[in-house]
Amino acid sequence: MVRIETRRGRLIIDDLFGKRYEWTVEPRYWRNPIIAFLAWLVMPLVVYGVYTSAFGVVPVALLSTLVFANVLSMMTLSLGFQSIGTGRLNFGPHFFLALGGYTAALLNVNYGLNPAITLIAAFAIGAIVGLGLSPITIISRGVYFVLFTLILPLVLYQVAYWRSDIFGAETGIPGVDALFLTGDLILDLFLFLYTSLAIATIIMLIYDKVLRSKYGLLMGAVNEDEELARMYGVNAPFIKVVIFTFTSGAMAVAGWFLAHYQGSFAGPAWLTPEMLALILLTSTLAGKGAIYGQVIAAYIIVILREVLRSTSGELGLAALYIIMLVLLFVLPEGFWGLYRKRRYREYYPTIKVRKREVL
Amino acid sequence: MTLLEVVELTKRFGGIIAVNNVSFKIEKGEIVGLIGPNGSGKTTLVNLISGYYKPDGRRIIFEERDITNLPPEKRAKLGISRTFQNPRVVESMTALLNVAYAILGTRGEKMSLAEAGAEAMYYLEIFDLLKKRDTLAKDLAIYELRLLELARALATEPKLLMIDEAMAGLNPAEADNVVRVIERIREEFDLTIIWIEHVLRVLMRSVERVLVMDEGRLIADGPPEEVTNKPEVIEAYIGAEEEV
Ligand SMILES: Nc1ncnc2c1ncn2[C@@H]1O[C@H](COP(=O)(O)OP(=O)(O)OP(=O)(O)O)[C@@H](O)[C@H]1O
Ligand SMILES: [Mg+2]
Repeated sequence: MVRIETRRGRLIIDDLFGKRYEWTVEPRYWRNPIIAFLAWLVMPLVVYGVYTSAFGVVPVALLSTLVFANVLSMMTLSLGFQSIGTGRLNFGPHFFLALGGYTAALLNVNYGLNPAITLIAAFAIGAIVGLGLSPITIISRGVYFVLFTLILPLVLYQVAYWRSDIFGAETGIPGVDALFLTGDLILDLFLFLYTSLAIATIIMLIYDKVLRSKYGLLMGAVNEDEELARMYGVNAPFIKVVIFTFTSGAMAVAGWFLAHYQGSFAGPAWLTPEMLALILLTSTLAGKGAIYGQVIAAYIIVILREVLRSTSGELGLAALYIIMLVLLFVLPEGFWGLYRKRRYREYYPTIKVRKREVL
Repeated sequence: MTLLEVVELTKRFGGIIAVNNVSFKIEKGEIVGLIGPNGSGKTTLVNLISGYYKPDGRRIIFEERDITNLPPEKRAKLGISRTFQNPRVVESMTALLNVAYAILGTRGEKMSLAEAGAEAMYYLEIFDLLKKRDTLAKDLAIYELRLLELARALATEPKLLMIDEAMAGLNPAEADNVVRVIERIREEFDLTIIWIEHVLRVLMRSVERVLVMDEGRLIADGPPEEVTNKPEVIEAYIGAEEEV
């Protein structure tokens, strides 16, 4: 008689042709990050496949939405990481995005530099400006830090109009080389989609690695109580400068991608309060548990936004912001907290004994 | 050898002179009690030495080096460590990580996270906190918090340990344990200690020398029995009591 039972997180099938089989099904042992990553990877293909076979048309808008979700992920990943390491919430992340976009567009259009070089330049400019501004993470906090960072995009916005001969005001800088131009629109779209996904993944892996290391622990200490951390030897000012500088560069990379994706870059389209609200709300909703949450939140919000906008226009967008506000209260730990409800220990790196391969 | 020298140290908060022209020396290996009525400037003095506040006047010398303008993280690396009167820990971290970050901060340049964790366990063990290793600091009782403060301060391998009221808020049995463990670490770790406490009876038994502060000034400095007989000290304490 075959007996099937689940016990202590195991699925046991006994007496199947006289043999006993056991599998661990306890979710704790699943390689969840890998499963999630694979899902992330195949999702665009599934969306494409299902949509084309169901409606007979290519979901261009939907695929572009996913590209945008990846760009938003780059921003929210960097913002989330930055707020852990500096203990401050930056209200001007889109300033750094625009900085990267302008750098890439100007260098490409005016000097014919190829995207590989403009990538390095965009990161460098973002990082250098970030470094130049980084003392604000040491001398200001609270509302002063918020105001300071809030001003940055406004200044750049005005500059884009003031020197419209250089920045092209709201039309932007046209004629930027696209990263991909195969002649096949759908193929191009997929190439952009997977490039943006790759960039977001690289950024995520870097941040994740750092957060799990001893530097992650020190960042956590700075985030929670800077003065206390310094009292025990943690060089908080140094950590804040390094984090602010690097994340500023990473945010500029998002702008670089946009310039070479859209074939132009118009700062005023990105330097808006809407953009700021989208980045800030998404990053906050992600929760501070783990950096993956940022990508999950970006996808949820961007897709929700697209659905609401395409079905109910401006009303839908208004509804989106209200939904996000409600979620802020309902999910104080963010989307990640929903998944990791009871495992608070993992807010900070757990210490594991390094495993050695046994030969 | 002189470990710490404080020269005419002054700190003002608005109109209040919390520390007023205080000078003293502490030799290596000494255990010194620091007493005084409420608001006499004891905590402020610890804050000045650890770098939490910048003084308004004169110098602090540690191991023959002027540290008056060093930031707190550098002082911690030189071997100055302290506890907080109102326990101040990272609440969302476990007890283990609270100690581990202090180790990484002060002497962990070449250490991995796992090594710092192993070190941290050693210090938790000394204070009998190992079983609370994975408890979030915000879920610890006051007694455990006081011990965690001591564990974290000791884990930095300090030369000078400043203890700001290790017994406040504890019941007599707990306070006894704390005293015993402080005496033990002093023997085992070759420490120099400045120890602030309100329970004079216990403190006087454990220390060899007492500094007495009153209204920001240092009014007495000497062995316990000598200091307690000084008219200024009796005056300060009786004066303080009369106010209450
Ligand atoms: N950050 C601050 N701002 C303003 N005044 C302060 C500050 N810190 C301390 N003071 C004042 O300085 C004086 C000395 O305070 P301090 O905390 O050093 O005293 P204490 O001897 O530690 O007292 P207690 O025994 O109550 O701990 C008090 O009058 C206090 O009000
Ligand atoms: Mg005090």
